[in-house]
Amino acid sequence: MAALKQRDNDAYGYLYDHYSGSLYTIVKQIVQNTELANDVLQEVFLNIWRRIESYDPAKGRLFTWMLNVARNAAIDTLRSKSYQNSQKNQELTDNVNIGGQSTQTNIDTIGLKKVLVRLKPEHRVLIELAYFKGYTHEEIADIEDIPLGTVKTRIRNALIQLREYLQ
Amino acid sequence: MNIQEYILSGAVESYVLGLASEEERATFESLYTAHPELRAARDHFELVLEKQAFDEAVQPPAELKSRIFSELDVESDRKQTGRTKIKPLTPVRSIWPRYVAAASLILLVASTALNFYFFSRYKDYITRYDALVATQTQMAANSQQLQVKVQDYESVLQLIKDPAMAIVKMSGIPTSPAPASATTVYWDTRSKDVYLLVNSLPVATAGKQYQLWAIVDGKPVDAGVFDIKAGIPLVKMKNIPQAQAFAITLENSGGSPTPTMDAMYVMGKVTG
Repeated sequence: MAALKQRDNDAYGYLYDHYSGSLYTIVKQIVQNTELANDVLQEVFLNIWRRIESYDPAKGRLFTWMLNVARNAAIDTLRSKSYQNSQKNQELTDNVNIGGQSTQTNIDTIGLKKVLVRLKPEHRVLIELAYFKGYTHEEIADIEDIPLGTVKTRIRNALIQLREYLQ
Repeated sequence: MNIQEYILSGAVESYVLGLASEEERATFESLYTAHPELRAARDHFELVLEKQAFDEAVQPPAELKSRIFSELDVESDRKQTGRTKIKPLTPVRSIWPRYVAAASLILLVASTALNFYFFSRYKDYITRYDALVATQTQMAANSQQLQVKVQDYESVLQLIKDPAMAIVKMSGIPTSPAPASATTVYWDTRSKDVYLLVNSLPVATAGKQYQLWAIVDGKPVDAGVFDIKAGIPLVKMKNIPQAQAFAITLENSGGSPTPTMDAMYVMGKVTG
């Protein structure tokens, strides 16, 4: 840990070898695009490198912290203007290439996503929106047109289920 | 709060997955120092999550590592030479949009302020311009009036200067209401036009008008009525071909066919 805070290159090399796969997976699951995922992963490691001081071991494991850095970076990208614009341009190509999604279906059947499919549909959609799209409970209530209280209850229940499936 | 219920409520997962709100995070962090079992539940879920992520990780392309580490070296050099200050909590891609947004906000505020400033200046100038135009119009009107007046006086002066003009001084009748009255008739000996100058006469009472008479062979002939008006020095009266004297009486408005002798104010004989 001290080596990381000293920004020791060997320590980062170890960190990368050890964690890049897990972080890459979550990033890919969020941005759904290999090229973009590569850019985001680069930013994730830059962010980890820059913000390592703000990591507090008392508040959780290093991996949990890095996972949230990765998730936030991926969601920021998803929500950035440049991405939204490129997405509009891509819609046509995506519609044409319905058959060519083998790598993406692959990424959607592992990790949390694998557990997600076992949830009830109304629970699954909320976790998708909250965890993989980064919407707040209020935004989800708007999108799904259900009361905020229902959103909170469903997400809580979904999380309880998730924990059981993950065991 | 029952800590077991709290642990089973989904709060732990929400906290670890980063789905908790600021408030929920604060609650969680205040609770776990006092409750080792909450801490244990958190550690457990973190481990489960981490193991899951490891077991099924998709490895990034191999060349990405060298790309990322060369980027880290650049960052590291920057940090050591101190050329760039790194703000740890700001993600790199959001720095420029924020500066641009901040700059445009400042520009917007400045431009709005300038607009208000210029608008108030504009209104000020409009008011002042209107005032100037009004003053100018007033001055032009005054100048016009003065010119007319000067022309009047010049024509009067022309008349008085004329050597062919006979002057008949008429002085106050001692028995009249105003013995100090005085008028002068300027009588053009060629055209026989009669002009009256009022030197001094009391203001006519309401419903009354002064009337000028020419005395021709002992008989009074009407030479016209007049009012005393400020600014009009000479009043042109009726043309009188011949007369031996002139007199003024105060008559009812519009004049009388014959003079009221006891209301005679002034009289003067034609000399020469």
